[in-house]
Amino acid sequence: MRGATSIGWLDMPRGWLDAVGELARFGSRVAGLVYSGRVLKFFGESLRQAGILILGSALVIWAFVFILGLQCGIQGAYFFRAQGVPAYAGLFAAWCDLREALPYAFGYILSAKVGTGIVAELGAMRISDEIDALEVMGIEPVTFLAATRLLAAWMVLPFLYLAGIGIMYAASYLAVVEQIADVSSGGYLLIFWTFQNPPDLIFSLIKGMVMATAIVIVGCYYGYTASGGPVGVGTATAQSMVVNIVLVHIIGMLGTVVFWGANPRAPIGG
Amino acid sequence: MSDTAIARAFLPAKSAFEQVGNMMILTTRTIAAAVRPPYPFGEELVGQLLFVLKLSWFPLLISTFALCLGAPGLQAAGALSLFGALDRLGGFFVLTAIRWIGPLVTAVVVAGVAGTAITADLGARKIREELDALQVLGVDPIKNLVVPRFLALMIITGLLDIFAIVFGLSAGIAAELLYDQPLGGFFATLFANASITDLWGSVLMCTLFGAIIAVVCSYKGMTATGGAAGVGRAVNQAVVISLVAVFFFNYVFTAILLATNPELQTIR
Repeated sequence: MRGATSIGWLDMPRGWLDAVGELARFGSRVAGLVYSGRVLKFFGESLRQAGILILGSALVIWAFVFILGLQCGIQGAYFFRAQGVPAYAGLFAAWCDLREALPYAFGYILSAKVGTGIVAELGAMRISDEIDALEVMGIEPVTFLAATRLLAAWMVLPFLYLAGIGIMYAASYLAVVEQIADVSSGGYLLIFWTFQNPPDLIFSLIKGMVMATAIVIVGCYYGYTASGGPVGVGTATAQSMVVNIVLVHIIGMLGTVVFWGANPRAPIGG
Repeated sequence: MSDTAIARAFLPAKSAFEQVGNMMILTTRTIAAAVRPPYPFGEELVGQLLFVLKLSWFPLLISTFALCLGAPGLQAAGALSLFGALDRLGGFFVLTAIRWIGPLVTAVVVAGVAGTAITADLGARKIREELDALQVLGVDPIKNLVVPRFLALMIITGLLDIFAIVFGLSAGIAAELLYDQPLGGFFATLFANASITDLWGSVLMCTLFGAIIAVVCSYKGMTATGGAAGVGRAVNQAVVISLVAVFFFNYVFTAILLATNPELQTIR
């Protein structure tokens, strides 16, 4: 295990520079395999991975999203109580929930649950030489292991995301109307629904799905290239989490700049 | 028959309760070992402090800046520019950068960077039976391995919070500059609205986040089983549990802090 003294202050950014080209090549290869339909040879495996995603991750994702919805609710409620317009907690909740907090919450919990899960699984396969065995049997390992997981993520995660939006809205409603109770239900919902529209939902979904794609590819890359015995699997899992967190934040910021940077899309003024 | 059905339905819940209980036991044993002399962990503590700091500073810098520029910076600046009140962004950043996003992003980065490394490290030692060997030699693994990590993570998470707040506020400045605003208004509303209570609340919350992450990640590392796949699985579970625990704790702490300190809710 690397000791505390053996790593330098700049090792992490330097390591990323090394990894970014390899990651991009691996990612484009996996995405190409899915896009060209060659992954459909293993559609059964994709369905199995989709089932694992639903059964293993859905409840955790929704619980996490629920907690963040409560937070958006109380922060907004106290902020607008201070401004003297408690009903406008709906404005904060609508923007916080849909535009920012949900993609970030989704990105965090996906990188924690799905991303590191993939690394642990594929890494264990790699160091027990199962991936080489697949190759010997004539099964293309990248298609069978990585592309099927990406296809499964694309099939399942949009629906988990949309359900998560509903759960987050319910959580914010509970926090603002039931817990803080400064504003009536009708007053809150009027402002809440005024400050969002269907394109916002599409933008938010795009943001979340780009994050999900990046996370699955990073997970597959670090698992596929793991080495160094049981310790190596643990280290690769830890490294993938760091890369994922930074990617989630950068994608989130770029998404905000692209979708809402020039036009705040608020029904105010002309 | 009904007995087995009930047992099967509550089996997952049972193991979850057992784990939470074991983590509580580990917490009390860690605190007891930390305060009771002798203190053999000085060198390891300094090593862990440097380790966490060297690993975390760069991801934290990028993460806080990106998050604070996107979410509260550009979104709020967009809305405020419709009212022509962009100087109010400073007051808004007290809420976001200091009270909420600073501690939360610090916790996410520390859990993802240092927490995973701790679990991978301790898990590898457990798999190679080094922890058992330590115990045979009469060295208490809790006192010599868990306590320094626990203290180091508490100290460093609290301090990194300050770092996160500084970079969050600089993202706010960047958002003002993107809208071609003078910075006087930003700083005026920022310093008018910021209070000492906000700052100590933020740092205290972040210190407790560090404690949660250290206990969860140490526990998962020390109980890793099942060879190569086991260490990876332990890291996976550790980071999920720490994130959910941290976010839930953040909700409880924020609700209590805001409800018991009404002076935070006056606008200046």
